[in-house]
Amino acid sequence: MPEPRVLVLTPDYPPAAGGIQLLVGRIVEHMSRLRPRVLTIDGPGASAYDDARDLDVLRVRSRAGHRPAIGALNALALTQAARLRPAAVLSAHIVTAPAAAVVGAALRVPMVQYLHAKEVGAHPALAAFAVRRADGVVAVSRYTRDLALAAGADPGRVHLISPGVDIPHRSGRGGRAARPTVLTVARVGERYKGHDVVLRALALIRIRVPDVEWVVIGDGPLRPVLQRAARDQGLQDCVRFLGTISDAERDRCLQSAHVFTMPSRIPAGGFAGEGFGIVYLEAGAHGLPVVAGDEGGALDAVVPGVTGLLVDPRNHIAVAEAIAELLLDRSRGQAIGAAGARRAREFAWPSVSHRVEDLLLELIDQSAWSARSRPAASRRRMRYAGRGP
Amino acid sequence: MCGICGRTSDHEGAAVAAMNDALRHRGPDDGGVYVDTATGLALGARRLSIIDVAGGHQPLSNEHGNVWAVLNGEIYNHPFLQRHLRERAHHLATGTDTEVLVHLYEEYGDELVHALEGMFSFALWDERRRRLLLARDRFGEKPLFYSERAGVLSFASELTALSAGAELDSELEEAAVDAFFVFGYVPGPGAIVAGVRQLSPGHLLTWEPGQSAVVRPYWSPPSYAPRPAEPRGELVAETQRLLEGSVRSRMIADVPLGVLLSGGIDSTLIAAIAAKHSRTPIKTFTVGYDVGAVSETQPAAATATALGAEHHELVLSSADVAERVPALLANLDQPLADQALPALHAVAELARREVTVAIGGEGADELFGGYPRYRWLDRAARWQRHIPASLGAQGARALRASPLAGRARRVGLLVDGRPLLERHLDWVTERRPALRTQLYGPRLADRAAGSNLVDDLRNRVDGRLALSVPGGLMNLDQRHWLPDDVLCKADRAGMLVSLEIRTPYLHRELAEFAATVSPDVHLADGGKALLRALLSDVLPADAAPRPKTAFRVPAAQWLRGPLAPTLAHQLDAGCLYGEGWIDRAAARGLADEHATGRHDHTQVLWPLLALGLWLDRRRGHDGA
Repeated sequence: MPEPRVLVLTPDYPPAAGGIQLLVGRIVEHMSRLRPRVLTIDGPGASAYDDARDLDVLRVRSRAGHRPAIGALNALALTQAARLRPAAVLSAHIVTAPAAAVVGAALRVPMVQYLHAKEVGAHPALAAFAVRRADGVVAVSRYTRDLALAAGADPGRVHLISPGVDIPHRSGRGGRAARPTVLTVARVGERYKGHDVVLRALALIRIRVPDVEWVVIGDGPLRPVLQRAARDQGLQDCVRFLGTISDAERDRCLQSAHVFTMPSRIPAGGFAGEGFGIVYLEAGAHGLPVVAGDEGGALDAVVPGVTGLLVDPRNHIAVAEAIAELLLDRSRGQAIGAAGARRAREFAWPSVSHRVEDLLLELIDQSAWSARSRPAASRRRMRYAGRGP
Repeated sequence: MCGICGRTSDHEGAAVAAMNDALRHRGPDDGGVYVDTATGLALGARRLSIIDVAGGHQPLSNEHGNVWAVLNGEIYNHPFLQRHLRERAHHLATGTDTEVLVHLYEEYGDELVHALEGMFSFALWDERRRRLLLARDRFGEKPLFYSERAGVLSFASELTALSAGAELDSELEEAAVDAFFVFGYVPGPGAIVAGVRQLSPGHLLTWEPGQSAVVRPYWSPPSYAPRPAEPRGELVAETQRLLEGSVRSRMIADVPLGVLLSGGIDSTLIAAIAAKHSRTPIKTFTVGYDVGAVSETQPAAATATALGAEHHELVLSSADVAERVPALLANLDQPLADQALPALHAVAELARREVTVAIGGEGADELFGGYPRYRWLDRAARWQRHIPASLGAQGARALRASPLAGRARRVGLLVDGRPLLERHLDWVTERRPALRTQLYGPRLADRAAGSNLVDDLRNRVDGRLALSVPGGLMNLDQRHWLPDDVLCKADRAGMLVSLEIRTPYLHRELAEFAATVSPDVHLADGGKALLRALLSDVLPADAAPRPKTAFRVPAAQWLRGPLAPTLAHQLDAGCLYGEGWIDRAAARGLADEHATGRHDHTQVLWPLLALGLWLDRRRGHDGA
């Protein structure tokens, strides 16, 4: 019998940049016991990306804008499900939950919903729908699990599976820049990433480490704001904004920096922040010590005092002291970086993908789909267990 | 709170003692002078006790006695800084924020300012390095004047105190007098007296023996620029987080605390937040007038009732105005023509009977886009592209000549083709620049034809109008009007009655956050959209109705009524006219027209009255 087919619905998929994109791309790439078909949105460089891989990907056009594309993606999911009759549907973002829920109910196959964080605060009603209808919810961290439970998920159906990291060929040895360098890799669009706090901290770090440089990788609408703020505060000589760069260039920056920081905070007003922060693992994989906020997903991505320092992400003095300490005490910074590199190996993508497959297969095994393909003895039990409230 | 002073050569400490005496109203509870016998440098401080009432004597040093500090103001994050310093093995003997300064200096040197959140001006003397550091807070809430002559630097919180201990010119600075007439306040870093400077907000000054003082910025108001739309709910939530944090930090005091409530949204919002975080009913204070069409007292009282506050109000009667305003204007250290000063002074006096510290809504308009000018001049910049220049100029002339004052004049400013900053200047100064040729006497004759006031504004704007017209103007107001008028008024009105006024909107993170929000978001809903949205969350409109009319100080009526004798006496015998600064006949002509009630020349007569009374007091001449 061929491997069961799983329909993967995701608005975020490589080559677009971002944590969710990377996560879904790597999980699909490493699936070996399921046959995934990915339904996603078209974007720059997408066809070249897809052509270079032996993966089953269908994309909807996004010319009319993001919102119509999401609608089209949901519609495509319904027609594809009718045609392919998948054994399960994996919704990688709550915006695809409506189609995933319909497919799950109509075909009586399990629906698994991935939950990150930010989307829960942005669309609370949709998040509640998604987690309540799903047979399985994958939370990327304890913080996200709490968000899922608060949104009404059944605790027995929430599964904590941390994202993974690409292990670089060489890490932590040599190649560090002569100038003390602090690195941030993040979209410069959401305030919760803490770029503002690092900029404030920089004036204090500079006292202890006069030639410090902060390298900012990433782009977004806050980038010009941040650049002007750096100029307004006379910090333009110690900040370098690189914008969006290639993965290879980014890896070189990770190799040459001394400290990685992204003091993400949980935004006010019930909005959600960093679900996990794969980039903390990536920094660790390259032997970089991390300075992060002591809340949200960073609590799972960073081991306090071992792979990084966790501080109050709203307090620029605390952030400054932590960064300066790691820049000045190089041996401590290197030890923490080495611990980060060791820990990163526990998060290799194949094992993450394997765990997601385990969950899907377990739910498939319990489902009506499975019952249809198996002897009658187990059919009754499976039918009972297959659907949620 | 308090007042500080110092002089780099004062071996006996006598000059500093004299300056300290002149600051007694700022700090009636305690005073002290420190003299470094090796160099003759002296520091002085007067103190209004608010935090660590028993242990806060100033000047204060580190445990080795080699770093000394005097502080005017409050460091709101000092509880965190104390913990932080103790973790780094500093020995702190008191609970005061002044002591935090000396230890932070040991940690960070001059850059300690980057760790401070608060309103302050301070001086630090490093005995070992023989080096003096002066600093002023980011927005200019606390004043600091200085003069440098023959290698000796003197400084003080107020100009009057500086005069008491430093040899100053008796001459006024002509450029500052001109700027005062135009703006109604003296823009820093200049001062009204020749040879005196004000340390600019967000600046440091360092001085070492044998060298000139070096002044440099450490912070400046952030630039605003448009950005793509973002969910407003998140912006309101972030505003709430920051403003609540700021209000709470400003509620830390070892003495009673009140709220100066105007009935407008800025003070109502902070009162609502303070009420939410206070274990006991907050005390609110409002002032009203016995003349004029609208009163602030009624909506303020309704708000106070909705908040369960203990409310106090005062009506500033015409008799009060006749009695208090001449003395108030005369006794300011530097002249100020803000018509709201008498009311703020009166409400501060009322509040001082109950509390030592009060919070007020200063800064909200400048940070969150409250002034209608931002919207109008933004429209003007857009319309300008569609109106032919010649047509615009003709239309503007016609509208200026229109008997309809106010709105027609504003529309005129929109269509005329002049550079935007000139129109901004005309708007904020009610077209006083054009009256200079008519009013200026021989002492200011050179300034009458024109001056570089617009160039100065352009330098401050530094290209930001190209990013966003309203954003550039908000930034400009934060650099000019806010420190030199709004905050000067709040500081002096409070200090004259020994009340500390704290301003929750002027919080660094809140200001930096506000600048990351697109100006069109701020200007929606009639301006201050985020504060309006937050207020409707915190205090629903049906709990306390909000006024729709802007409050006007009845200064025109005062000048025809209770202040008419003072104005007449000024015109007869004031030094402003006798010394040839202002042409007596021209001023009298305007005063006579105003008195008839057919014309309103308040915008000219009030600055002349403020400057005239101040000058007479300075000359020891009874012009009142």
